[in-house]
Amino acid sequence: MSDQHDVTELEPTPGERFRKAINSRDVKITMVFGVIITAVFVIIGLWFYPKYMPEIMSENMKRGKDVIVYFTVISAPIAGLVIAVALYTLLDRHHGENPPEEAASFRTHTPIVFAWTVVSAIFCIVAIVWGLTEMNVNSEDATENAKSALVVEVTGSQWVWTFNYPELGVQSEQLNLPLDRPVEFRVHSVDVNHSFWPVQLGVKVDANDRVTTLAHTTPDVLGTIDIKCAELCGLYHAYMETQGKVMKEADFNSWVTAQGGHAA
Amino acid sequence: MTTLDHAKVSESRPNPPKSLITKLNMGTGMIVGIVFAEAMYFWGKSMWDRQEAVMENRILTLSMFAWCIGFLIGIGAFIGPFRWLIGKDLTDEEQLFLAGKGQGVSRYFRYCTDHKVVGIQYLVGVMVMLGAGGTMAMMIRTNLITPGSKWVNAEIYNSLVGLHGITMIVAMIIVSTGPFGNFILPIMIGARDMAFPRLNALSWWLLFTAIPVLCSAWFFGGIPTGWTAYAPLSVQAGAGMNAFIVTIIIFAISSAIAGANITTTVVAMRAKGMKWNRVPIFVIGATMSVALAIPAFPSFMASQMMAGFDRTIGTHFYDAEFGGSGWLYAHLFWIMGHPEVYVILIPGVAILMEIAPVFARSPLFSYTTAVVGFAGIVGLSVLVWAHHMYISGWMPSLNGPFMVTTEMISIPTGLLFLVLLGTIWRGRPWMKLPMLGVYALIWNFLIGGITGIYLSDVPADDYLHGSMFVTAHFHYTLMGAALTGAIAGLAYWFPKMTGRMLDERSGYISFWTVQIGFQVLFLGMFAAGSQGQPRRVADYEQAFATSDLISTIGAYLVGIGMIVLLYSVVHSWRKGKIAPMNPWGAKTLEWTVPYPIYLENFHEAPVVTSDPYGYGRSEK
Repeated sequence: MSDQHDVTELEPTPGERFRKAINSRDVKITMVFGVIITAVFVIIGLWFYPKYMPEIMSENMKRGKDVIVYFTVISAPIAGLVIAVALYTLLDRHHGENPPEEAASFRTHTPIVFAWTVVSAIFCIVAIVWGLTEMNVNSEDATENAKSALVVEVTGSQWVWTFNYPELGVQSEQLNLPLDRPVEFRVHSVDVNHSFWPVQLGVKVDANDRVTTLAHTTPDVLGTIDIKCAELCGLYHAYMETQGKVMKEADFNSWVTAQGGHAA
Repeated sequence: MTTLDHAKVSESRPNPPKSLITKLNMGTGMIVGIVFAEAMYFWGKSMWDRQEAVMENRILTLSMFAWCIGFLIGIGAFIGPFRWLIGKDLTDEEQLFLAGKGQGVSRYFRYCTDHKVVGIQYLVGVMVMLGAGGTMAMMIRTNLITPGSKWVNAEIYNSLVGLHGITMIVAMIIVSTGPFGNFILPIMIGARDMAFPRLNALSWWLLFTAIPVLCSAWFFGGIPTGWTAYAPLSVQAGAGMNAFIVTIIIFAISSAIAGANITTTVVAMRAKGMKWNRVPIFVIGATMSVALAIPAFPSFMASQMMAGFDRTIGTHFYDAEFGGSGWLYAHLFWIMGHPEVYVILIPGVAILMEIAPVFARSPLFSYTTAVVGFAGIVGLSVLVWAHHMYISGWMPSLNGPFMVTTEMISIPTGLLFLVLLGTIWRGRPWMKLPMLGVYALIWNFLIGGITGIYLSDVPADDYLHGSMFVTAHFHYTLMGAALTGAIAGLAYWFPKMTGRMLDERSGYISFWTVQIGFQVLFLGMFAAGSQGQPRRVADYEQAFATSDLISTIGAYLVGIGMIVLLYSVVHSWRKGKIAPMNPWGAKTLEWTVPYPIYLENFHEAPVVTSDPYGYGRSEK
């Protein structure tokens, strides 16, 4: 071993060491675990969120849900690796009153630390770029639709939502929206903070006293919207909810007329 | 080898002649505190009209502060400083008495400067707080067992949510750095006590005075605002809010004192030869955690002082009607609030990094990576607060930058996983109670971390913000990771702190009941949140019924498991198996001292020649 000139005992090259490590039994078993667990997480992501999240009634909601599903899929290999390593170590456990024999002593392993950091940085950048892109699409949609948007003034007060359509001269405790028409919610509160959450539309914005905050979306499916308050606002916070409807343009216009407004 | 006779710590009980110090204890503190509070109350009532809300708030707030000051005077916290004013100091005999020399159990009820006594005081205090907060959690889940349940009314429910939150947050901030940071940390670095023993006692007794104040909130109408106490909801709240404000201000002072003390101790009092790269990782983690708290908590304190001014002298910091802003509160709160979750998390992870090498008999994998991971989290954590305000309407244009900083935290967090995995890889894990915590953390923190990435993403947060999904996420990190770390730490250091082993059988039962219950509870809650159930609701619709029922069943399992743990701790403390000096074969310094630990820890100052992770075959 100490004889530096012996050709047969040269240090293995990094490539050889890597191949040997990959082919060792523990790495192989861990990789099998990893693949199985990754698959489980992917299935959970693809099945769970679409099943349990409410109906998608706007592009905003679709983007939010997609982010959750894709992030689950992307993070599945990481979760798979982490759990696989932990599970593999559990295969050979030690019980009893005395410590087990000493394990192999390795203090650090620079290539692994380096690779781990680089890979997690790449995953992080993917997540950031993805999120920024989706966020940007949301705000571009909002800017594009600003002119043609139906304005709805949303007022939060303890513990009711009131909806005012200034262009149509209608005020109501029921939120009705025409299909496929962009809408701009102008939200404020007359007392404490509330948070306006039309669940199926996938947007949410706080209602603050004396400040108007905006939320933009375009409902693109007919149906019922659950409207909730997502910020603790006092005694009956839990009951500060109502329902809204996305309806055909003609139905919406006749509702507006019935309410004494002038249909656009 | 070891004996549990406290008197053996020292044969002679010092008895300073006619010193006031010997007469003071928790009882006198309470008497003086109550007298002060009553005096303040009646004086205030004679000065101001109690019918007005502002005046009532003023009287109550001042009375609560008077209680705290009175208690500290009554327990003798200010005797030393007072002597300095008249140009003297405590005599040596008095100092020894303060250090609890030869006093048996009674020193736990005094203003005792011994760091080991303070550590035990913190441990018992934390257990009481966790018990109270846990009971409230059970009540919350009981009310949510079915939709439309009227087990408690909405008013009581909201108060339960607020009190559960703040009690648990306070308990979790001190759960590791309080008991272990005070008891174990000085011994680990070979110090004879903390750098400032009297401040150490002060930090504990200050915290103690806050507990009755917080409890009093029940009798003044509760804290119906959640633990965040957002303005202007808090302005509207009844007199119980004053208790919250006083509690936070006192707690901020207490934690600043404790933080400065631990930091100084670690910087200045390490044993000879303990260079920075030989410091045990728990010490590094605890120090970073308290050092992060030092800049963070003053912001919380400032937010509550301003809330207090709004309530007691009629300012309008948070009142939009007079030009104030609720966003100001939200900023001040979250500038503390996000670093704070890492103040809670880091010591828990660091404890498990201390445990993993011992039970896998393998060196801590890449010590430098662990330190870099902690430092990265600490550095980034002060730059992410506004991710709690994505949908508040404040500056939507800044959501992008805050999303970037928030998601970057996943990189140093990933390094912590690498350290733990590298340590246990190719070792044979010794499946003792502390080691189970390492595996529980890996699973729980993974779930908590990944769901955190969804929440950091703005389009996803547009949907998930303010839902039960958030509640489940932070319980996975704070309870699943940080509390698991603290409980593992208790199992690990129990022999050193009490001289007895923690009972294994009840420990295992508790571990599995809690962990399984925990998964049921919060996976159910993730489902409820995904379905669209807002958090902090006293009632909900039929659509969420299954998820909530599952959550409640899980919660009861956790509750049962925690009761078993409590039994295990109490039983083992009284009658457990006597522990040998180093039951785990660990290499840190605290395992070189026998129980009961000598008053100043070491007969001979230890000299350190290597880091404490020399496990493994080649380094035998």
